[in-house]
Amino acid sequence: MAKNQVGAGPFARRPDNSAFKQQRLPAWSPSLTPHTVLSVFYGLSLICVLLGIWLLITVQNTYQLKVDYTNGSCKKCFEMRKYPANATKNCICTANFKVPKAFLGDVFFYYGLINFHQNLRRYMDSRDDAQLVGRKKSLKFPSTYCKPFAYDENGLPIAPCGAVANSKFNDSFRLVYHQLDGPAVTVPLHRRGITWYTDKNIKFHNPPTNTTLQEAFQGTAQPLYWQRPVYDLDPEDPNNNGFINDDLIVWMREAAFPNFKKLYGILNRAHALFSHGLPAGNYSIIITYNFPVQYFQGKKEVVVSTVTWFGGQNYFLPIAYLVSSGMTFIAAIVLTVIHVKVGRDGKNMEE
Amino acid sequence: NDCYSQSYPQLYEPGQRSLYFSKGAFIKCALHSCYSSLVLFFVPYAAVRDSVSTDGHDIADHQSFALLTQTCLTVTVCVQLGLDLSYWTAVNHLFVWGSLGMYFLVTFTMQSDGLHRLYASSFPFVGTAHNSLDQVTVWLTVLLTAVLCVLPVVVHRFLFMQLNPTINDKAQPPPPRRRARIRRSSTRCSGYAFSYAYGYGDLVTSKRFLRRPVPLRSAGSTPAGRSAAFRPAGRSAGYSPSGQ
Repeated sequence: MAKNQVGAGPFARRPDNSAFKQQRLPAWSPSLTPHTVLSVFYGLSLICVLLGIWLLITVQNTYQLKVDYTNGSCKKCFEMRKYPANATKNCICTANFKVPKAFLGDVFFYYGLINFHQNLRRYMDSRDDAQLVGRKKSLKFPSTYCKPFAYDENGLPIAPCGAVANSKFNDSFRLVYHQLDGPAVTVPLHRRGITWYTDKNIKFHNPPTNTTLQEAFQGTAQPLYWQRPVYDLDPEDPNNNGFINDDLIVWMREAAFPNFKKLYGILNRAHALFSHGLPAGNYSIIITYNFPVQYFQGKKEVVVSTVTWFGGQNYFLPIAYLVSSGMTFIAAIVLTVIHVKVGRDGKNMEE
Repeated sequence: NDCYSQSYPQLYEPGQRSLYFSKGAFIKCALHSCYSSLVLFFVPYAAVRDSVSTDGHDIADHQSFALLTQTCLTVTVCVQLGLDLSYWTAVNHLFVWGSLGMYFLVTFTMQSDGLHRLYASSFPFVGTAHNSLDQVTVWLTVLLTAVLCVLPVVVHRFLFMQLNPTINDKAQPPPPRRRARIRRSSTRCSGYAFSYAYGYGDLVTSKRFLRRPVPLRSAGSTPAGRSAAFRPAGRSAGYSPSGQ
């Protein structure tokens, strides 16, 4: 090395004469020349307008319908749910709606909540992921984050613990299609496959057991606001019980905003009537009204929607692209004018 | 380098005038930050607010939204950084692209199944990156946010360069030729710090340090001060009108 050769002398500590150490590395030096800036602006404006138009056409092809059933036809149940003493009493009501145009393709059914803040920090902390992944120790000793929903009044640990699980949405729906020439038909829905793959298979596991699921949850209590214990959430499908219940998993994925919707079911197109989608006509939803919303001035709704490769019906992105393309184009024109009038001959650059 | 700085001594003026470190500069920076923050929250908010993913599942959940906003921010910052870098050496390329790559690497690692299996409560974001980063909506939102945050900066800089160029813009080196040129990575020479000192005003105005009398090119330029004891060799001896 050069240092060794020089030895001890006035230049002994001089750094190497390499390109890296002498800061002489080959470099590309971009600069804001009018040529590049203006062509970038015009190019971006064109790209944005094309994207905006394409997205707008795609979003126009999605259909969405919202049916608010908080009050109105379900007023009787709404009044009943005001009193906690009626909590164990069942209440069933019906909401009618009309599908103006057939929903072709896959149709998704959601339940929506307005003004329910699942994104509240203390609420979001109130869960025990170790318990939900099936650890025996966490099942018997839930995390302190779950307080006051960790142990019930008898001192038994609650499974699943926490405020998130405790406030699980428990309305159920049955959709009925009123044919013009025929009897009313229940619309068949897939109630499985509504969760993320990673949620169902990795994030949520039942505690291991050699016997029944009920045995695995021995010594625990159900959450305070639930009507059924966690091992019996779905009497019809034994694989949908315990922590891996699809509705529980969907509810446990907290929404980011106070107005949200969560997947309830997907149209089962095996039936002849619904093989192409949801036909136009009159429908009614028979609702088992359980979830009280007046405490937080909230609302409940059912949302029926189709999706495309772009997702659900959301006009913001296409409109935002069109607007920004317009603004970029105007900016490009203004900059061109200024450049032509003032800067082109480099008048200002002289010194 | 030092030769370049001597030919454009006006480059020291912005420092002496506190052009880049004043209340005005702070307010401009604060306004830019406010605007960027609003764009970086409200554009992702509006884009996923009432939407679902391509297979009907959740996209507006807390974890996906957090990841989306974070990705928008990282990409916008990298684009803004690319705009500010004036010399792209191999080291710069490594660090800029490397930062972006590290962000995605760390995100995917923290949201992987393995880490969740080890410490379930500490890594609750399992599967979020996998499920949301394959949505077209997410990438279009990132692109829109980057465009909305960076273009106003470009407009502002270009406008000021055309209408009211600062000395830095005027003293730009000539456009680089296509072969790799050997150049230093900074325009300002190492003597920048000494422009804050009391200076050599008396020495300069007395013209004592000039070797030969030369007519000044324009009223605005003042020759760089050097102490009379230092004898510059070669072409940097005094100020020459041809700018060499």
